[in-house]
Parts: sequence; structure tokens; C-alpha cells
Amino acid sequence: MQDVRLRTAAAVLLCISAFISIPGAVAAFLWWLVFAGRFTQVKQVRMMLPIVAMVAFFSIVLALTGGDGASYFIRMMVIILIGFWLYTEQKSGEFLRFGVWLLGERAGFELGMIADMSMQTLHLLVRDFHQICIAETLKGIHPGWKTLVPAGFVLVNGALSRAESTAELMAVRGYHDGGSLCPEFITPRMDILSTLAALCVLILALIPVSEFFILYR
Amino acid sequence: MRVELDDVCMSREGWSLSAQGIFTEGIHLVSGDTGSGKTTLALLLAGLLPPSSGTVCREGISSLMVSFQFPEYHVTGATIRDECISWGIDPTGVLTAANLRDRQDLSPLKLSRGELKRLHLACVLARDYDLLVLDEPFSSLDCREKERVCSAISRRTTGITVIFTHEQMQFPRVDYIWEIARGSLHNRGSVPGALEAWEHAPDIIKKLIARGKVPENITPSDLLEAACRT
Repeated sequence: MQDVRLRTAAAVLLCISAFISIPGAVAAFLWWLVFAGRFTQVKQVRMMLPIVAMVAFFSIVLALTGGDGASYFIRMMVIILIGFWLYTEQKSGEFLRFGVWLLGERAGFELGMIADMSMQTLHLLVRDFHQICIAETLKGIHPGWKTLVPAGFVLVNGALSRAESTAELMAVRGYHDGGSLCPEFITPRMDILSTLAALCVLILALIPVSEFFILYR
Repeated sequence: MRVELDDVCMSREGWSLSAQGIFTEGIHLVSGDTGSGKTTLALLLAGLLPPSSGTVCREGISSLMVSFQFPEYHVTGATIRDECISWGIDPTGVLTAANLRDRQDLSPLKLSRGELKRLHLACVLARDYDLLVLDEPFSSLDCREKERVCSAISRRTTGITVIFTHEQMQFPRVDYIWEIARGSLHNRGSVPGALEAWEHAPDIIKKLIARGKVPENITPSDLLEAACRT
């Protein structure tokens, strides 16, 4: 999807649908398969495995304490898939345009810029983590749980240092608050169709399906 | 001992780099503009990045090390002393050489970028590797430190050392010059013969050659000798 407004709207609708119910999660997953499903892209995102492991852990804890762990796992996995799709589709500067379009040149500009900077930091953290893993391997250290702490220190330190430098640079360049921008968007028909489909998914999640299928009850 | 690049090509989003050649024992200097693909080629040589096409063949190499431009990536020790130990070396000598002995209990991340680079290079150059790839080893260093690092690199007599840099001031003694230009890696040959074809040569070398004073090598003392030659 090229239009960040429709993409974000679709992602929000799908996440709500997946969170509400299992039929909503299944419908959101089908939407993902049709409009976004790229398994190769998911495999490329290195953070996928630890996040799946974390969700699985909490699902097991939930199941052991009497909750519906399986339902939680399925719904969260679909939300994560949608999140990764949104992350991989995002292009630099999109949130800034989206923020200005949505909330104007003061609050919108600020929020959009913060969102864009956060995404940029996330991309850099992924790149840095990859480099750290290579450096550890070169030293003869196998990247694993034990090496996460020193790697974390390097990543946090680097992110803070970059944030400080950016803040200083912006202050030096006279940035105070807000800014002017004329956001432009390209909206292909397919984007509108995908968003309408996401809206249908939400409606499906909200409607009590069992009301329509007597046999199901 | 050699690294052979056979019709290697790396491409992504409107950018590509092709490379062909053999890196034999000795010190190789690879120069090129920022963004020309020096780091990519460094990773390819070390086998840390698969090429889009072609093959990278490493023969007789049992130990390798890549020094990244940003030394933070290499940090695994909680203190400067631990960091030295993590490289498998005795900290005393290295910390004295890097002038950091009195700060050995500090976190390496508390050091400035230049100090950390100094520590990192001291650790890397304290050991012998069959293939040592140095990506921008002179960045963040002052002139004095560059000189010290150049001396340490020049002393390497075994193995393959490949230096990727856009440095224009200080160089170690090198045996071969390569450069990345117009999306391809070019072998300019061995020094001093390679100097005349070296497009990225610093101005001083170009001027010396224009006056017919070809330096024996590219270290500051070689350039001084050529400049004073009558």
C-alpha cells in the first residue's frame, strides 16, 4: 500500500479486529494473506523469533493460570503480523506527512517527526545489532542470551548518543516547535480496496457470527 | 594464502559493485569515495556477506578479523580491562600502548569515539591474523594516533592485510593499491608502480609524480624523501 493514511487506518482496523475475537483474528489473517502476505519478508525480520517466543511464553502462563492461552496466542500473532507488515512497508518521511495531514503543522509535525525518528532509530538498532553479532562471532563469542546484555548496553548507549546529537543539531539549527510541510499522497485504487476490506474485517469481528449460524450455537 | 574474487557482483536498489582479483600476502590499500562500496567489499572479502553473484574463495586462511569503522560494535567487555581480555590478549601491554592503563576499570563505552578506536585497534593489531580487514582504521584518530597505527600496520610481515580507507594524509607502508571507481574494483598493482595509475592518490603524491619524483612508498617518510630528492 502506497498511501500511509490508508495503510495506517487498515492496520488499526485489523489490529482491533484481531484483538476483539478469534473470528476477527482469522479474518485479519486472511486479509494479510491476500493484501500483504509475504512470508519471505517476515522471515527476514530478525526480531520476529524472539517476539513469537515472548508471546508463546505469556500464552503458556495464561493457559496455566486458567485463561485462554491459545486464543491469546492466535490473536497476538495476527496483531504482530500486521505490525511487521506496517513496519516493513514504512518509508522515511511518511509519518511526518501523515502527522501534518492529520493534526496540522504544530502538534502533527511534532508527532510525525517523533514517529519518523523512532522508526529511523529502530532501523538503525536492527542494523547495529546485526553488526554486533558479526563482531562477536569474529571474536569467537557465539551470540546468545549471555551476550545480549553487553549488546544491549552498546545499543542503548548508541541510541542515546545519536538522540543527543540530533537534539543538539536541531537546537543549533534553530528548531523550536512545529514546522511547515505540504503533505502529498498517492492513493491507488488497490489501497482503497484494501482499506475497505479491512473495514469489512472489523465489521465481521464486531458482528456476533453465531447469531447468523444457528447450527453453530 | 590468498583471497580470490571471481566475477563478484553486489547490487541493491540502483547501486552495484563488481570485483575481480586476487589478494595475496602483503598489505593492500583499497581506496574509494564515501559510498563507493568499501565496507561492502570488506564484508565480502571476510565472507560476512554473500555476493549477489560470483564467488569469493579464501585459501589457506585459518584466522580472520574484520575491524569495523565504528569500534562500539566490537565492545563485549564491561570494563576496558575485560574488553582487552575478550580479545584474548594480555591487557597490560595493550593498555600501556593505548595510553589507557589508568582507566582500565572504566566501561569502554565511557571513552570517547577516538579513545575507543585507539583501544580497539591496539587490541586488533596485538594479534596476528591470516586475513586482517581494516575498514576505515584512521577515522576518529588524531594525527599522532594515525601515525602510531600506521607504524603498527607497517610492521605486519605475515598474512593478508586489507585496508579500506578514504584517508588522504597518513598511510602505512603498503604493497598493493586497489581502488573502487565507477562501480568496479580496480587493481592498480604493486607500489611504487601503482602510484601513477592511482586515481584517488592524495594531491601531494600526484604533484610529486608530476615532477618526476615517484616515491618508493606512501608513508610520510617516503613522501618526504621523494620531495627532498634532487
